[in-house]
Amino acid sequence: MSAMADLAPPVRAQAMPLVVAAGLGIACIAGFVLLVLLRPLVPGGGAALDEILLWQSLLPRAAIALFSGAALGLAGALLQRVLRNPIADASTLGIASGAELALTLGLSFSPLLTVLSRELLAFTGGLATVATVLALSWRRGLDPVTVAISGMIVSMIAASLSVALVLARGEYALSIHIWGAGVLNQGDWSGVASLAPRLVAGIIAAFLLLRPLNVLTLDDSSARSLGVTLHAARFAILILAVWLSASVTAMVGIIGFLGLAAPTIARLCGARTTGRIMIAAPLTGAAVLFLADCLTQLLGPGFTDLAPTGAFTALLGGPLLLIMLPRLHGFSAVTASSDTMLRPLRKPAAALATLAILLIAIFAAALAFGPTPDGWHFATGPLFSELLPFRLPRIVAAGCAGALLGVAGLIMQRVTGNPMASPEVLGVSTGAGAGLTVALFVFGFPSSVVMLTSMALGALVAFLVMLTVTARSGLSAERLLLAGIAIGALSMAIIGMALAQGDMRSYILLTWISGSTNRAGAFEAWMAIASFALLTAPLFLTTRWLSILPLGTSLSRSVGLRIMPSRLLLAVLAALMTAISSFLVGPLSLVGLVAPHLARLIGLQTPRQQIAASILIGASVLMLADWLSRVVIFPYQIPAGLLASLIGGPYLLWLLGRKAKRM
Amino acid sequence: MPQFTRRNLLSCTTAAFLAAPAVLRAETSGKRVATLDWALLETLLAIGADVVAATELRQFRQIAVTPEVPEHVTDLGLRGSPNFEVLRFARPDLIFNSNFYAWADPLMSRIAPVESHAIYSPGESPYSLAERATLAIGERLQLSTARKMVEDLAAKLDRLRPLFARGDGRPVLPINLGDARHFRVFGSDSMFGEVLKRVGLDNAWTGATSYSAAAPVGIETLASMPDAWIIFIPPHPEDAFRSLTLSTFWNALPAVREKRVLRIGSINPYGALPSASRFADFLAEGFSDVRNG
Repeated sequence: MSAMADLAPPVRAQAMPLVVAAGLGIACIAGFVLLVLLRPLVPGGGAALDEILLWQSLLPRAAIALFSGAALGLAGALLQRVLRNPIADASTLGIASGAELALTLGLSFSPLLTVLSRELLAFTGGLATVATVLALSWRRGLDPVTVAISGMIVSMIAASLSVALVLARGEYALSIHIWGAGVLNQGDWSGVASLAPRLVAGIIAAFLLLRPLNVLTLDDSSARSLGVTLHAARFAILILAVWLSASVTAMVGIIGFLGLAAPTIARLCGARTTGRIMIAAPLTGAAVLFLADCLTQLLGPGFTDLAPTGAFTALLGGPLLLIMLPRLHGFSAVTASSDTMLRPLRKPAAALATLAILLIAIFAAALAFGPTPDGWHFATGPLFSELLPFRLPRIVAAGCAGALLGVAGLIMQRVTGNPMASPEVLGVSTGAGAGLTVALFVFGFPSSVVMLTSMALGALVAFLVMLTVTARSGLSAERLLLAGIAIGALSMAIIGMALAQGDMRSYILLTWISGSTNRAGAFEAWMAIASFALLTAPLFLTTRWLSILPLGTSLSRSVGLRIMPSRLLLAVLAALMTAISSFLVGPLSLVGLVAPHLARLIGLQTPRQQIAASILIGASVLMLADWLSRVVIFPYQIPAGLLASLIGGPYLLWLLGRKAKRM
Repeated sequence: MPQFTRRNLLSCTTAAFLAAPAVLRAETSGKRVATLDWALLETLLAIGADVVAATELRQFRQIAVTPEVPEHVTDLGLRGSPNFEVLRFARPDLIFNSNFYAWADPLMSRIAPVESHAIYSPGESPYSLAERATLAIGERLQLSTARKMVEDLAAKLDRLRPLFARGDGRPVLPINLGDARHFRVFGSDSMFGEVLKRVGLDNAWTGATSYSAAAPVGIETLASMPDAWIIFIPPHPEDAFRSLTLSTFWNALPAVREKRVLRIGSINPYGALPSASRFADFLAEGFSDVRNG
């Protein structure tokens, strides 16, 4: 990885640009020549069919790859410039997943698709997610790190909603699988004909907005004094970028991280000024996507692709983010959250007792109260003992997973000093998913133990890679978060490749992603209890670290704390907790984000109190989500993890509104 | 020489098919059974077992269509997340499960004894496995209809063999459209592939499909099988078929120009013998329609 990162510094900048640009161009031409020469021949089909294949399939596909790549490259460059964020792109901002969700909704409720066009649906979805992401990071001045984190969380929610819809629709899911992974196959020129004018319009609009764009590189006050209506210009560019990426998503599906790759490579090719990047980014975007598409066609047997092109480019995302790490700096220094401004409670014990009583009440209600085929019942006596074996394991599993996530989130927020940190962001839960993917391909139908082991291994590998990558910067908080996002992106790309297979393994993965507690049995329940006990007990010995680490590296060092080992130990604990809860409730629940925040809001501030409160709140939230997941559309069930994330998502927005008012 | 006509086919194939339900209704075993797996569900329904609960019935009625699911069968929810409490309330005496849902065995065995039958398993013929499972289930429930269904279907496929042999001898490509540019194909290791083999038709798809028999492939692959009959097996997304048939590439395909495209009714792609039988019937009916214009 360090060798790749070394490509960036300007030391070798003189020779590099030409080599990179020329190499890319030559690779594209070579790829295309090979593709045309080696194209599979039609047995006995005659020259006529071969010609049709060349002109109506191969060439339009090449053209759509070029145009989509250019559109995404341009969109990426625009987004990065307007947000002053070198890692902004359709994938990191959630535009692609938002568009996917909107289209999935359109497919599920077919009247939607007949009223609105695919492009309009995708645009609406993309705009909604990007607005959410920016709103979430507004308070921190659209700081790149915070934007990336909110983008990741929002796109995870959107993706898991799509998955829930896919699961509920059963067999129709095939098209969504294919589509979600981004494939470029064409049957005629209609796709090209519809995308090309959009791209041209986008390029013209981008150049009209070029002057304001240049001004934007100045800070806000000098830009305003130059007479630019700053917000209007920014907004127009943002809309343009969303429209370009959403159009591509509607046409060919999610092409992961191309908007990130294109401007980066354009810069490697020597583009420095805004104008040059605006020209070079679409060109490199086109080249990269074209090359990726050539490769997947060439490497696949016959007419079959090796992998969906979109999943192929998504593999670029993780490594690229890692390469860019050294160049990223948050605007606002990552320090302790302003939440701690709240006054500490006078009687923390009473608050904790109330939380404990609440937890017990939820536990009891979830066990006894619920719908049956003949109406709602408070189960007592024999009915209660009859239902106990089905309700108890999942409630216990959900509760323990919630507790683990709450604590893991607390550790992350304390260690990084960033209030947006959560186990999802660590990249460990998706790393666990990558482990599960490997197990599915090795074993076919793995048992729970094999699944859990492979997930723990995946989580640890993801985590160790992240540590190795960030070790050079002394595990600095924002590097840790960004590396987490990078690892998460890479793991999701691996999972996405497997999902695109569209077979039973994809089904198991989909079920895991959606985060159902329905499968919890005695094994899961006991495992949850045991890991909860083993992992949280040592935490109470680390309370000194947890109170000092958020104060920053220099201060921690000055009071004699050995930063590296303490961070390492805490992070390993958090990784294990995340892996186990991810096995139980899927990769996404946002409980790790919400529980520590609520604890702090109540006014429980010392690490010891906060640990206890996070455990109680995390467990309560997931138990409640689990209960809701069973009753909302009885007898069908909504995955509990998804439901919890739908509770956590609005909370994030609320938190944001509250902060804005106080400022 | 008997002609390949609709009348001929009707007498040959549907006689047994029509007669069967009457026989099936006659006996019902006392055991209340439930299942999570659609292949086992259609088997149980077809042999006349007393099914009290099964998964995703709304979808099943749309996709598998037959056998008909009686109104009183309880819906357990999604196959991936069945509602065990509801299963408990349905009070089955016996639960049938498959390898797809093996994770549920420990939980369900608290409700009733669980018996597992795999129909789709790597490297094994789903038809043979389905036969074996049907016979085993019939024996367990003491329903002689199971053996009869196995024998009737084998006889039907044998009867169809000479009829198809008089066709044009072209291979057949059973596909399910994913979107306008992708389809999944049912290779020799799928249930549909097995049926083709047993009625003496060649499967145009010779490449490997994974044991799930549903690898999605790009539409241009159709060009590599210019001789084949293309058989569309629904369900398709609404707009997919329309935009496919508008594309230049599609209309240039030899199969399309020579009208060698069949659209048949919806079938459960992961089915058992009833799905196989339904597919054979559709094939016979479709080809006889084509022959007779």
